[in-house]
Amino acid sequence: MIVNILLIIDFLMLAVVVSAYIYASLRERKYLRQEAGQSLELQQKVYQAEVLKEIGERIGYSLDTNKIVDIITSSLGNLLEYDTVSYMVLVDGGKAVFKCHVEKTVNHQFIEEVKHKMRMSYEAILDSKIPSQSMDESITGNILDDSLKVKVESFFNLPVVISQKLVGLINVASKERGRYGEEQASILYTITNQAATAVSKLQAVLQSEKGKLEAVIYSLADGVITVDLNNQLVVYNPVIRDMLGIAQDKAITMYDIVDGLAGKVDLRTKIEQAVAEDKAITLPEVYLKDKALELTIAPVKDNQGVIIAASAVFHDITTEKTLEKTRQEFTAMMVHELRAPLTAVRWSSESMIKNLSLASGVDQSKVKDTMLTIETASGNMLELVNDLLDVAKIESGKFELNLQQYDIVEVINDQAKVFRPQAEIKHLTINVIAPPKYMLKFDRVRVGQVLGNLISNAIKYSDSGQIDINLGVNAEEKIATVSVKDTGIGVSREDLADLFSKFKQLKSGDRSRKGTGLGLVVSKGIVEAHGGKIWAESPGENLGSTFAFSLPLEK
Amino acid sequence: MTKILAAEDDKLISSSLCEALKVAGFEPTPAYDGEETLAKAKEILPDLVLLDIMMPKLDGISVLWELKSNPATAKIPVVVLTNIGDVETISKIVEAGAVDYLLKSDQSVDDIIQKVKDVLARSVNLA
Repeated sequence: MIVNILLIIDFLMLAVVVSAYIYASLRERKYLRQEAGQSLELQQKVYQAEVLKEIGERIGYSLDTNKIVDIITSSLGNLLEYDTVSYMVLVDGGKAVFKCHVEKTVNHQFIEEVKHKMRMSYEAILDSKIPSQSMDESITGNILDDSLKVKVESFFNLPVVISQKLVGLINVASKERGRYGEEQASILYTITNQAATAVSKLQAVLQSEKGKLEAVIYSLADGVITVDLNNQLVVYNPVIRDMLGIAQDKAITMYDIVDGLAGKVDLRTKIEQAVAEDKAITLPEVYLKDKALELTIAPVKDNQGVIIAASAVFHDITTEKTLEKTRQEFTAMMVHELRAPLTAVRWSSESMIKNLSLASGVDQSKVKDTMLTIETASGNMLELVNDLLDVAKIESGKFELNLQQYDIVEVINDQAKVFRPQAEIKHLTINVIAPPKYMLKFDRVRVGQVLGNLISNAIKYSDSGQIDINLGVNAEEKIATVSVKDTGIGVSREDLADLFSKFKQLKSGDRSRKGTGLGLVVSKGIVEAHGGKIWAESPGENLGSTFAFSLPLEK
Repeated sequence: MTKILAAEDDKLISSSLCEALKVAGFEPTPAYDGEETLAKAKEILPDLVLLDIMMPKLDGISVLWELKSNPATAKIPVVVLTNIGDVETISKIVEAGAVDYLLKSDQSVDDIIQKVKDVLARSVNLA
């Protein structure tokens, strides 16, 4: 769509330039008309102005040099007498086009002579050969009569220069000797020169507009291609390479695009459809090897509303799709984790109701067991819900801290004390390595929560050995670091990066040690709210791990 | 007595399930992970297996395939008890050869006991 809008702006600007040009020539013509008849010189000028205007109108917005030279050539009849008027232009690929209009009957030899003279002249200017086999010829106008005994007696060649570049050669030739003098040459020179200047200006404007347009397309984050009606790729931007995995070092063809889409989209058919139906086609989800794309294919029209090409915009939706998938996985995991304790509560309650209505009397010990199950299950669920609420608070930025001066060592010792009974069941020892006292400004409850989470994880993921809690102070960096080092199952390198992100559950690892992983997400939020950092280190699986967080000394 | 192997990694759910099975007159054996389930299935050759899906060491679907590919355990009816209710998992469960599946949180203990009784009655009739 942007491309289309820019094209329209482009053409509007051109219209302004061309109108100004036409207006200027009309004014000149009016002035000249008043003076006409007073002298032959003036009359000549009127003709020139007429011709120029005609050329200007016919050239329009065209930048096809072939067409421009053709128009100039065919407008010369009013000004000059000649038997043939011809032009020669070089088109892309070094091919030459020779076109000759026969005004008065001549023979083939005459035309061959004209062509030869033009080629010699062209080659002299270009300083290179034009191979005769690659000459595209056409002869129009009067019939040729080889019975005529005529040859080129007078002629002249005139180069056409547009935007400081030689684009072609115009030739007028006559079978009459001495037909052309300086005067005729000057007329033709003036005409071509003025036309060429106008076109040069036009070209400069177009180039500048095209440059702007290209810059916009190049800077787009979306991949953009334009394909002409012959299925040739005419425009593309660099992003398309990354999107479709096309090598950097070569020009892109339509084949590369189709190849890059790996048969997931029949682009050619879609383009044909967009052109045939004259409407945009959107393919909302195209899955390539490692990408998800949204494709929009639309017809491109010229200023007359004629469809001249089709564009395809490739919008990368990989991130959105990945996010959507992890979100779904997270929801599924949360539902599962919430259902487990609920199921235990429900089944336990049912058992208890049965037990209470037993005719043989209530079994007190069973009631107590069942109540313990319900207590543990509901506690687990409460913890989970609290974590979820904390995550929501952290994400919405509504996480509030109660910052006071506290002794961090006291908090560490308190947490170690809380978890020692749990650790002892697994024969793990908890050691605190810290100075007797260290005052810091922090939220006592929240930092206690972080420590508790790290220690409980260390217990959960260790089957033997010890847990060392260390307090280090770096006065230079103005941070205090608390680390919890265990001798447990460790963390693989690929999992380390994902430990603190909400939607990531460790792919590897042992599911018997249950957990939603939300504890670390909450811990990260708490530490970062203090202006600190949290991280994990592990030499590898089964080699233990260290979880640490830092708090700033001054805040 | 009818032997039921109850594969469930959540200790709380496992104990309330086994308790209910006992009350209903069955002889339940708990297994807390996939590998333990396979080992106990071969060892005690239960009349029915209640199988959880998300379990450590070996997931329930793999356990199911293993049970069905071993001639000694292939005929034991397996009822899947899970809290994963997505279509993909359910189709995998059915494909692997479970006689039925139940969503844990949707069922009361009585429902599960009734299901166990139904499946056992059916397999006796077939035999």
